[in-house]
Amino acid sequence: MWAQEVLALSRRWLLMVLRERLNLLFSVLQPAVWLVFFAGALGGAVDPRVVGTGDYIAFAVPGVIAFTVVGNGVTAAMPLLFDKETGYLDKLLSMPIRRSSLIVSRFVFQVGMNSAQVIVILLVALALGVRPASGLLGVPAILAATALLTLALTAAAMALACAVRSHGTFFAITGFASLPLLFMSNAFVPLTAMPGWMEAVARANPLTYAIEAMRLLVVDGWNGRVPLSLGALMVASAALLAVGAWQFTRQTRERIA
Amino acid sequence: MGLIIEAERLSRSFGGHAAVDGLALTIAPGEIFGLLGPNGAGKTTTIRMLATLLPPSGGAAQVCGFDVVRAAGEVRKRIGYVMQQVSPMGSYLLTGREKAEIEASLYHVPRRRVKARAAEVLDLVGLSEHADRLVQEYSGGMQKRLDLACGLLHRPELLILDEPTLGLDVHSRHRVWDHIRGLCAEGMTVLLATNYMDEADRLCDRLTIVDHGREVVSGTPAELKDALGAPTLDEVFLRHTGHALREGEAG
Repeated sequence: MWAQEVLALSRRWLLMVLRERLNLLFSVLQPAVWLVFFAGALGGAVDPRVVGTGDYIAFAVPGVIAFTVVGNGVTAAMPLLFDKETGYLDKLLSMPIRRSSLIVSRFVFQVGMNSAQVIVILLVALALGVRPASGLLGVPAILAATALLTLALTAAAMALACAVRSHGTFFAITGFASLPLLFMSNAFVPLTAMPGWMEAVARANPLTYAIEAMRLLVVDGWNGRVPLSLGALMVASAALLAVGAWQFTRQTRERIA
Repeated sequence: MGLIIEAERLSRSFGGHAAVDGLALTIAPGEIFGLLGPNGAGKTTTIRMLATLLPPSGGAAQVCGFDVVRAAGEVRKRIGYVMQQVSPMGSYLLTGREKAEIEASLYHVPRRRVKARAAEVLDLVGLSEHADRLVQEYSGGMQKRLDLACGLLHRPELLILDEPTLGLDVHSRHRVWDHIRGLCAEGMTVLLATNYMDEADRLCDRLTIVDHGREVVSGTPAELKDALGAPTLDEVFLRHTGHALREGEAG
């Protein structure tokens, strides 16, 4: 029953995305633009001793992945946001489905989409000469880190979508928060190069742990710190899932016309 | 046979304002029951409580024999809810068939029956030919019929229709009415909220007019007209709800 609900809703998400080909094309292309133009250009200006590698593009790959997941996290909440505003959420809630299916199907779908996109990013990086130090087996590990980060950010975006009164507020907040979230992390700069206060903020940012795990896998290879970073990421995802579940319960229990 | 809807002192307030205030409703199997009232009278709030979307702040309601709060899951299996607004964002990039199949799965129609059941309900409302077009391309009347079809996927005992012909042209309204009559001929119970008195007059076995969240009068359309010697239900409605124009909303 539960699987049937999750599959049916995932089918809805997938069909809606596939019907918007241009949207799909541009979201797949965007990370490539970051790698080629941003990392490619900045690489020449970056001191290899600071970033710990002469290959800045390899250094930036995890940052670009994280950036992509942040962007997709915002779009992840859009169906919920619009279903809430158009009233279709009411129709869904009048059906005998588990409330959690609405959320879980979104996670399943987002993890699938983001995994596909990470593979495209890794292929573009490969074309630019990046060979992950952890080899082919590093790819599933990178996908696992992406999946955890996807859970965390999708949950956060869904919680926000439930909490706001309209999509205007949602986009104002996410538009404001996306860049600081990215720059207050080790996405493009190592923590050691940051001022102390910024490093402290970055250490509280779940992005940092996902990026750290992925960067070790891409630049250094298998390393004991990979499970540590993934563990920290799991804790952050669990916390954000709890917030998301709480907001969603609040939203669905007491809806006002 | 038990009642399909039995509500006692049903109430709901929003921040001190009583939207529904002690409403009693009883609807028997096979009836088409009309819920009428001016805008803001509490029709939609009542429907949302009966459809398990909004917990009552007072009183209780049983739908198909189950309490709408304590056994909401059982109620949901037995009702089809067709909302007032069509929801283009919810499905406009899907075809009618895809929307029906997805909703059939959400109503737990057995997996091997999903395709057949979706095709059946689409056929029932005359949308078979257009099943593989995007909902985006449907006219208002077609979207409404699609929503109606989707409310039937799980063969509910009670169909809740909120303004089923709002904004439709005369042909489309008659088609929707024919479908509703056809469903009732097969034993379906219908709760119909409407602002169209001619619609209520044509379709409803019994109706209740509510205002300010309270029952004003109930009966069959004929009874209500006879009691006031009024030629139309419009006349009955205007007399019972006080004035031709509600000052509170005119400004």
